[in-house]
Amino acid sequence: MRRLAALLALVLICAPASAQTGAPTGPNVADLPAGVAEDSITVSSDYRGSSVTVFGVNPDRQGRGDIVVVVRGPTDSAVVMRKRRVFGLWVNGDPVRFSEAPTFFAVLSNRPLRSIASAQSIWRYQLDPAASAQLASAVPATGDPSAYRAALVRLRRAQGLYQEYSGRDAPDRPGGLTMYEGGLFRAVVRLPANAPIAQYYADTYLFREGRLISAQRIPISITRVGIERRIHDLATNFGWLYGLITVMLALVSGWIAAFLFRRT
Amino acid sequence: MIYLPIAEMPVNVLLILLVSGGVGFLSGLIGVGGGFIMTPALIFLGVPAPVAVATGASQIAATSFSGIMTQTRRRSVDWHMGLLLSFGGILGSVCGVWLFERLLHLGQLDLIVSLLYLVLLAGVGLLMVRESYHIWRGRQAKGVSILRRPIKTIAHNLPFRMRFPRSGLYISVLPPLGIGFVIGALSAIMGIGGGFILIPAMIYLLRMPTNVVIGTSLFQVLITTSLIVVLQSAATKTVDLVLAALLMLGGVIGAQLGARLGAGLKSEHLRAILGALLLAASAKFLWDLVIAPTEQYVLRGLW
Repeated sequence: MRRLAALLALVLICAPASAQTGAPTGPNVADLPAGVAEDSITVSSDYRGSSVTVFGVNPDRQGRGDIVVVVRGPTDSAVVMRKRRVFGLWVNGDPVRFSEAPTFFAVLSNRPLRSIASAQSIWRYQLDPAASAQLASAVPATGDPSAYRAALVRLRRAQGLYQEYSGRDAPDRPGGLTMYEGGLFRAVVRLPANAPIAQYYADTYLFREGRLISAQRIPISITRVGIERRIHDLATNFGWLYGLITVMLALVSGWIAAFLFRRT
Repeated sequence: MIYLPIAEMPVNVLLILLVSGGVGFLSGLIGVGGGFIMTPALIFLGVPAPVAVATGASQIAATSFSGIMTQTRRRSVDWHMGLLLSFGGILGSVCGVWLFERLLHLGQLDLIVSLLYLVLLAGVGLLMVRESYHIWRGRQAKGVSILRRPIKTIAHNLPFRMRFPRSGLYISVLPPLGIGFVIGALSAIMGIGGGFILIPAMIYLLRMPTNVVIGTSLFQVLITTSLIVVLQSAATKTVDLVLAALLMLGGVIGAQLGARLGAGLKSEHLRAILGALLLAASAKFLWDLVIAPTEQYVLRGLW
């Protein structure tokens, strides 16, 4: 909490300074004052997901413009398949590969994204998950590429991996973007437990009249710690040894069971 | 709640212990391995199918080892036959793990696992229901015939014959190798021990005496599942040590309680109930495959 307060103070101090440097000349200017409350998240055996809080200040003194906050996980390839009927059974078929699709994507904005940025801007700055997915393979003749793209977003959204919020958080679900007096904003993103454990980035954007004015990128690392880390490292780096350990554990527990069974 | 490092999901410790304990209890009560109930149960709990299949094997290894410890004291393992079956099982499980990895890559693993379970659960369920029905009808010779060995089978006519002193057999080595191979492959793909297929095969096809059948099949299952755990760890990285430990704990305690209670209990009714349960589970697998899905698309991403 103390850290959070310090961060807030920092953001507030920075705000006038950057506002004085003059209006940003173009997009991709990394001068939007922002920070995250938790820049490293640890995963231990009691991990049940967590949340990321992004703070920032709109550098515009009159508070003009719209804020968009995007929390992105690493991209990875993904395959979407369509169910087909074969001999009366529904089987997976017609695979379509995306060379790059975000494994986690949350976009928050103070009002609906479409009214903040143009379709081109959304595509260019990859502000929604569909825009971030790169189609890699040919879509089968019977399929529709946008249907596959929509399916990817829909399926990942159902898993809680893709989230979209506009306006402040609804009372029934945590997360959302809240604007405060003086241009301060706070975005809360819920990271579900199934979100991949990797390097994340929180990107904040300021749009005015559909144009990107300034932006900022903040890294957030999610790492395993303690026993979780040891087990995972062993399993990925020394698969054979890990397997042998598991078998030894099985033999020992089987032996103990047999021993107890004989005793009583 | 505990976070599983490989499955990358939190699970309720009590729930997993309860399920594995329940499955162990049933297996102790009725005398089946329980892998063919445990793996679908884990999948229904939301554990990704590859993790459920690969991790289930480690629990079966634990159960069969504890079984073998008690069986060897009664000198009821035919080591020659066991080694031969295991050799077949090793080849089978290597092929099975390879196939598992290919199917996972092709996105067809779920379908194949569902189909295999559909057939297997229906088959075993029918057998159990039928058997207990016959026993219930009046304990005639019909029920006992399951244990009666046929006089001569194909195993006696094939080449490469070998003597098995413990079983008192002089048969070809090819059928045991083939049976071991099939069980090993099924074991790797489905996360089962395969005892409930192996035991009838040994009695009917190999004509082994019933007193060595259980110990020998446990030996084969132990060797095959241990190998599968190591191979899956190396090839697909789907073995979850934390989940495995929970399954072993629950399964072992449940099996002991089940065996205690089962000693003074008639199992016909239980078999009938379990058989009906398996038929119902098999119907569920069929339903999922036949009914038109509400979501036309599936993701083949992380798992």
